[in-house]
Amino acid sequence: MSKRNLPIGTRDEFGPLALKKVQLTNTLQQRFIKAGFDPIKTPVLEYRAVFDAMAPTLESAYQFLEESGEPLVLRPDLTLPVARVMSTTGITPPTKWCYVGDVFRIKKRHSGGYNQITQAGVEIIGYPGSKAEAECLLLAAGLCDDLGINNVTLELSDASFVDTVLEQLPEVARDSLKQALFAKNLTKYAEQLKRLPQSPLNDFLAQWPWLFGDADEVLAKIPPVPALQQAVANLKQTVDFLKANAPQLQLTVDLSSPTPQPYYTGLVFRAYAKQSADYLFSGGRYDRLLSSFQQTLQPAVGFSFDVDALSLALPDTKQPQPTLIYFNDSQWQQAQALVQQTPNATLCLDDNLRQAQSQADSLGAKLIDLTQEVTQ
Amino acid sequence: MTINIALTKGRTEKMVLPLLKRAGMNIEPILNKGRRLIFNDDPNYHVILAKGPDVLTYLNGGAMDVGIVGSDILVEQRNPQYDMLDLNTGRCHFVLASTKDFDPGLARRKIIATKYPQITQDYFNTIGEDVEIIKIEGSVELAPLVGLADAIVDIVETGDTLRENHLQVYAELMPVSTHLVVNKLALKQKQGEIKQLLLQLQQAMQEAAL
Repeated sequence: MSKRNLPIGTRDEFGPLALKKVQLTNTLQQRFIKAGFDPIKTPVLEYRAVFDAMAPTLESAYQFLEESGEPLVLRPDLTLPVARVMSTTGITPPTKWCYVGDVFRIKKRHSGGYNQITQAGVEIIGYPGSKAEAECLLLAAGLCDDLGINNVTLELSDASFVDTVLEQLPEVARDSLKQALFAKNLTKYAEQLKRLPQSPLNDFLAQWPWLFGDADEVLAKIPPVPALQQAVANLKQTVDFLKANAPQLQLTVDLSSPTPQPYYTGLVFRAYAKQSADYLFSGGRYDRLLSSFQQTLQPAVGFSFDVDALSLALPDTKQPQPTLIYFNDSQWQQAQALVQQTPNATLCLDDNLRQAQSQADSLGAKLIDLTQEVTQ
Repeated sequence: MTINIALTKGRTEKMVLPLLKRAGMNIEPILNKGRRLIFNDDPNYHVILAKGPDVLTYLNGGAMDVGIVGSDILVEQRNPQYDMLDLNTGRCHFVLASTKDFDPGLARRKIIATKYPQITQDYFNTIGEDVEIIKIEGSVELAPLVGLADAIVDIVETGDTLRENHLQVYAELMPVSTHLVVNKLALKQKQGEIKQLLLQLQQAMQEAAL
């Protein structure tokens, strides 16, 4: 490989996209901190064992060996490192954390995907009640609103729902049915279904792969199985809460998909915009998060924005015409003050006016000549 | 909303077009395509023609909502999107084939030539054998004839090509057919339209089977 090439799956960021991402991460971080979340920064490099709870997706992590032979990874996730911090530092919950950082997941080569993704999110640890979910949802929805992203669809789910339904079925059928359901493989799913004995659940099961869409419609289709009612009640409560407090959101429910990570235990939520090719944010409750680090569990809720997807969904803001400010050595104070007052302005560091003018011409910029103003 | 469909050109296209027609799509522009690759006359469906592996690349990049592609490519490329429907056309299967003097019980590490290294690896993993795989881009039948490989793993429809090259089948691997694949997020964003398309296709398949 030449020193002029980038490794596959990486990119440089500059120009309007870089500016957007910087502004975006600042906005997100300031909002989190204003809401009382403490910033936390964990290293990019961690022991692979920290991410054991992510298996089998852990295969797509960049891996190295430490001198001792211990496997290291570039972090593929930002939540598990926070769990590691919680279980090893003696910090007593409840705590609220916020973070901005990059995660690394290797995508297929030459597929156009990037392996380094910026995430910004929060973790609320130590609150078992639904207020924790509510704060996350309102925070995320409010930020989308402030950023001018309309048409946000929020999709709710419950991590226990699929397994609770499967528990009603003969044990031998569960795994293959679940696999076909999650893969939305209608052909295989229908074959699996034929092998099941007749039961009152059959009508529901036939429609199960399509059990996503408008929140009220989906929730009306849940069969009256007692074991499912708790999850349904929780979802209804969340839907009502959001209708009252975030009426701009389009609400959907999906009860036929796997959770984004295996460590989720309760409410799961994700959001996308009409045109976006990726989810804008995702999160939920994961009360077993600390289980891979310690015996005592802590209730936890969190979410993160995919900053890259979010910046693509942002409406384009037109930058004002750039301005160059030409000045002489006695005018530093005045020139710097003018830069602060003028939108999209910068100091022109050329030593003569002719160079400054040609610089401005090539940038399509307006030139303010402070030396001229002195002589006049 | 418009559904964007990427259709594998060539054999898959030819086999699946009658089904799309029966499902209510206007396939005339595709039949009379000339050199066109994009068909956006119908406001309900925009169709592009692409090579099989590229169908998945367009789908994964979010540029297309629905892909129509052979299951050989879905397995070989480890497709991460929703493989929703077996369209039951373009049926063929993978075989392990070689010359008449090939001994499958040969006690050494065999050399297998194929266009499909993943599928070949999967097969030999399931029978607990380790082989060396050589990737060939086309006319795989040549490899055992000229002594590059002990045997081949390839797709067979009628078996004519094998017979003409004096090769015989030693094992039947997985079956192959044309599948309909859907981008995960597109299924959410265009649920109504995609469900409608799937129902129409399922109905068309039932009618065709009668």
